[in-house]
Amino acid sequence: MSTTTWIGKSAARREDAPLIRGKGCYIADIAPPGVVQMAIVRSPFPHARINSIDTSAALALDGVHLVLTAADLEGIGAFPTLWRLPGQKHSDTPALAGDKVRYVGEPVAAVVADTRYIAEDALGLVDVDYDVLDHVVDTEKAIEDGAPVINEVWGDNIVIDYTFPGVNALGEEGDVEGAFAEADHVVSGKFRIGRYSGIPLETRGLVGVWDEIAQRLTLHSESQVAHLLRTELAGALGIPETAIRILTPNIGGAFGNKWDRYPEDILVSLATMRLGRPVKWIEDRREAFQATVHGREQVQEWELAVKSDGTFLGLRGRVLSDQGAHLHSTGIGPAWVTGAVAPNQYRIPNYQCQVLGVGTNKTPNSTFRGFGGPEGIFGIERMVDKAARTLGIDPAALRAHNYIQADEFPYFSPAGGVYDSGNYPEALSKALEAVNYEELRAEQKTLKEQGVHRGIGIASYIHVSGFGPSAILGMLDYYTGGYEGSTVKIDPHGKATVYTGMIPMGQGTETTLAQVAADQLAIDIADVRVVWGDTDQTPYTGFGSAGSRSNVAAAAVMKAIEEIKAKAVRLGAQLLEADAEDVEYVDGRVSVKGAGEMKSLSLGEVAQEAYWGHHIPEGDQPSLEATYVYDPANFTTAFGTHIAVVDVDVETGQIEFVKYVVVDDCGTIINPLLVEGQIHGALGQGLGGALLEEFVYDSETGMLLTTSLMDYLLPTFTDLPEFETHQLVTPSPSSEGGFKGMGEAGCFPAAPAVANAVCDALAEYGVEVDQTPITPNRVWRLIEEAKANT
Amino acid sequence: MKPSRFDYSAPTTVDEAVALISEKGPDAKILAGGQSLVPLLNFRLARPESLIDINGVDELDYVSANGSMVIGGLTRLTTLEESNSTNGLMAKALPHIGHRAIRNRGTIGGSLAHNDPAAELPAVLMVLNAEVTATSSTGERTMTVSELVGERFFETTLDDSEMITEVQVPAAGVGTRYGFAEFSRRHGDFAIAGVAIAITVTGSTVESAAIGAFGGAHAVRLVGAEAALVGCELADAAFAMAGETAAAEFPTTSDIHGDADYRRHLIGVLTQRALRESTDKEVGV
Amino acid sequence: MSDVISFDLSVNGELRSVSAEPRKTLADVLREDLGLTGTHLGCEQGGCGACTVLLDGEVVRSCLMFGVQAQETEITTIEGIGSTGELHPMQAAFSEYHGLQCGFCTPGMILAAIDFVGRNPDPSADEIREGLNGNICRCTGYQKIVESVAAAATEMSG
Repeated sequence: MSTTTWIGKSAARREDAPLIRGKGCYIADIAPPGVVQMAIVRSPFPHARINSIDTSAALALDGVHLVLTAADLEGIGAFPTLWRLPGQKHSDTPALAGDKVRYVGEPVAAVVADTRYIAEDALGLVDVDYDVLDHVVDTEKAIEDGAPVINEVWGDNIVIDYTFPGVNALGEEGDVEGAFAEADHVVSGKFRIGRYSGIPLETRGLVGVWDEIAQRLTLHSESQVAHLLRTELAGALGIPETAIRILTPNIGGAFGNKWDRYPEDILVSLATMRLGRPVKWIEDRREAFQATVHGREQVQEWELAVKSDGTFLGLRGRVLSDQGAHLHSTGIGPAWVTGAVAPNQYRIPNYQCQVLGVGTNKTPNSTFRGFGGPEGIFGIERMVDKAARTLGIDPAALRAHNYIQADEFPYFSPAGGVYDSGNYPEALSKALEAVNYEELRAEQKTLKEQGVHRGIGIASYIHVSGFGPSAILGMLDYYTGGYEGSTVKIDPHGKATVYTGMIPMGQGTETTLAQVAADQLAIDIADVRVVWGDTDQTPYTGFGSAGSRSNVAAAAVMKAIEEIKAKAVRLGAQLLEADAEDVEYVDGRVSVKGAGEMKSLSLGEVAQEAYWGHHIPEGDQPSLEATYVYDPANFTTAFGTHIAVVDVDVETGQIEFVKYVVVDDCGTIINPLLVEGQIHGALGQGLGGALLEEFVYDSETGMLLTTSLMDYLLPTFTDLPEFETHQLVTPSPSSEGGFKGMGEAGCFPAAPAVANAVCDALAEYGVEVDQTPITPNRVWRLIEEAKANT
Repeated sequence: MKPSRFDYSAPTTVDEAVALISEKGPDAKILAGGQSLVPLLNFRLARPESLIDINGVDELDYVSANGSMVIGGLTRLTTLEESNSTNGLMAKALPHIGHRAIRNRGTIGGSLAHNDPAAELPAVLMVLNAEVTATSSTGERTMTVSELVGERFFETTLDDSEMITEVQVPAAGVGTRYGFAEFSRRHGDFAIAGVAIAITVTGSTVESAAIGAFGGAHAVRLVGAEAALVGCELADAAFAMAGETAAAEFPTTSDIHGDADYRRHLIGVLTQRALRESTDKEVGV
Repeated sequence: MSDVISFDLSVNGELRSVSAEPRKTLADVLREDLGLTGTHLGCEQGGCGACTVLLDGEVVRSCLMFGVQAQETEITTIEGIGSTGELHPMQAAFSEYHGLQCGFCTPGMILAAIDFVGRNPDPSADEIREGLNGNICRCTGYQKIVESVAAAATEMSG
């Protein structure tokens, strides 16, 4: 029996030492000798035919080495979209625009020069002859008759029309029609969720190094799924996968946006192969707004059938997911997740949701922290508050009345998923206690008399994490796996090296996995080294680094160590001349049970013997290492409830935070300090999208208006409140170690908590906040409209 | 985002600077603090053939006050923030301008020459009836900030050969009180709407009022609201009336951060809030 | 290149020679010509603070200056803070209180915080938030940076 010494500890981060000294190595810091720089010609139009491209003037500029256009990409493939639901039309990501451009920022040509300065000089010299076409940037207009068709092969602008049939995993089917017929009230709502994205502070970048003699490409890349990039790049370039090595530097934030495969992956690789010298491309901030995938943006319509006593009978809706000009790596995935999580923590046996993927002349919409979950939670949590208002029931009480209870797990959702464990009522009551709910409501009335508009907004959420059992992903038409692998090697001195396929992007993966390994081997954390970021050394990653998968990676480490300990016991038994059943691995030692120090060996002593190989038991091999590829048995369902307390200045529409309480449950916690950091960070992005962040396109011109950090507003120190976080621990029965993933949870309920709070603050006006971001301008307009309607 | 090529010169005296400005012609830009210009260069929204870096013209870095304030064009905003000589209304506005790092480099001359319609200083200096001296190789002239701004934005009424060398802020009349109210999306951002006020009061009657607004099409004095306030009793009714008048005459504008009606409405609200502040004996100095 | 200028920069107490076009920003000169890659570029428009360095002891955005402008000044980058083996209290606090995750904003944030605390030795949480508002962090949600700076301030005031 081992003592848990490292799981649950706020171990200091080993990542910090170089980073606080400015000694990190990020992609822009990598400069091999002879490196040249790439810049990309991007479409200035939302929709246009390309008649011709004249590169002669650019090529003639001193210092320019290469210009690539579509004509130079013969035999080069495009990157596929990985989520392919039945009936989905074909859509992929080409390296350069072909005969037309479909969004502002689409890559048209690539220039390589001595410096980025010269490369940018050359951009202006590439002469592209465009014929501008009609564009459409509004999600609803894109599916109207007569809208400009963006992808001719689709026939219209709908790439997929998928309906969740409301059948759970046991095959039980609901009766949506019946539920709505039986309802005492039908609450309806239409929501517009704004387009925003991860905006990591570090933009994307690549350094490609082609070795002509070895015929091998080394690509320094921030991809969150390095092995998948390797596989897809081999396919696109038409070279063997064994000829590609992906090396990962420090990543300055990713948030899902660096998960996808991008045109530049192909362009930089091709450029270095053709030039025979290293090629570097660093995305600048202006490019990033156009060229890195966007997220969210949906138009949702919901109806909730309720009884007068507050019981939810049925939920049905339609989600328009604005996919941008074409599907990117995860394509329709987030929209599917929206449909999958919409029933949330509530018992709603009758459910139906139609999801449409809509094409518009905008940057592709793909992987971003939350992955459709925040969108789904926004819809349902706003609907619950609308129902509360309609029925005259307190929003907390209404939620409590409808929660799935702690003894109802595993719960079979009508959206098809299985929730593994949870205690929703406890999370709510803990949150209510933390805000002093009764007192707050009383205070709210007093403040109202003084002209202070204070509001309380509750939002509960589930977060399907630990994505996911590979077989189930296959059933969902998602074309990669969900496993994570780890190889653990004990060296002859008894120290451990852990190889992981995970890609750290700031969340402390190295420290977390070192803690797990140290805990399971019962050795000092300083004796564990974690190796990541080299596809030549690390195990193939199924789904890679998503915020909610450290649990899967941790499980792989644990299972590999189980094998090592079993091997050590067998070898130790041999060495101690005992039967294997009489020998145990405890506290980093292999010992005969009850025999004390005389019959005991350290891990190092056993390891040394393993490498000498003189006494290896029959059936075993020399050395002491193991590889385990862990495929989760089920998705895990993290959950929680947030409560936002805000004051609204009705003269300006400005929203000020009074309090923000988080109750979060992510199963067994490996490092509490890091978990807290993840919650804060995810909340920061969730609140950013709730209040400030938005990609804005001009409907007349189709231009992207948010082209700088002065237009696209990231939350600053003074925009975010102090967070009060409380953790619950409901271990996952289906996950090794009981861990659930958690890096994304904070962003799920943020927007609806704030929206509900604002509606509550402005209840006297009957304002419904159904659009994000909730800007002061929009709040003011809502109040003015409400006043005008009375 | 790298700038296009330019030739670079770094004069160390005013005479050298204005000579270079004449020599290099209209395709030259003056580099002072650079906090507004360099982003434009990095975005290649501006591609001057010549850049004349005046940061070495030490003779333009000075603040003195003897009743009125005299400020060299190259004086950094942080210097003004930390100087005891700085006028009270300017002192209220300065912390709203960007962030510390921006103010460490940004200059008063640069801010006026750039004339961003959402910037605080042009409107504040209009309210203070400040004057600006512009120098060229053929001489110098002085004008009010209102004359400098005209109804322009992102440019001024100066011609290409001129450079701002000094700002003069007249001494405040006895009993002058100040108010400042700005609304922006985030602290330190450019204003969506802002109001700067200087009033003098006898007893509880307004003797004179100067109201400057920014965040619209250009920095402006709201003369109608000013006139309407003269002779009024300081009370909510007067503030509300002033706010309404101010809002009506404000040259509003629209962009992704605020539509025209909203900005106009904000000016009304901010005028009232700034007036209230100016009459608060503790705060309105 | 005929428009390359040669000049000297004093960086972290050392005089260094540089040859660069005048249009090359101070950030790029520090990173590429002097190999000091601790100063990061997040936006190249003065909007994020990742490129913050000290110029004659004052915080500036190195993306908004040209390298040639920094002659005859004293520049301090993150590499000039603390020394091998001994961290500045601000660096130590950031690690202890988990004020960094990906580390990209961290060099600029640490310099801005050192400057801020130097002028405000005993700041409240609200004052820290206001004072550092020009530095963006995308990972932490800011709370643990505030805790780090508060702890460092206490340590620095001895």
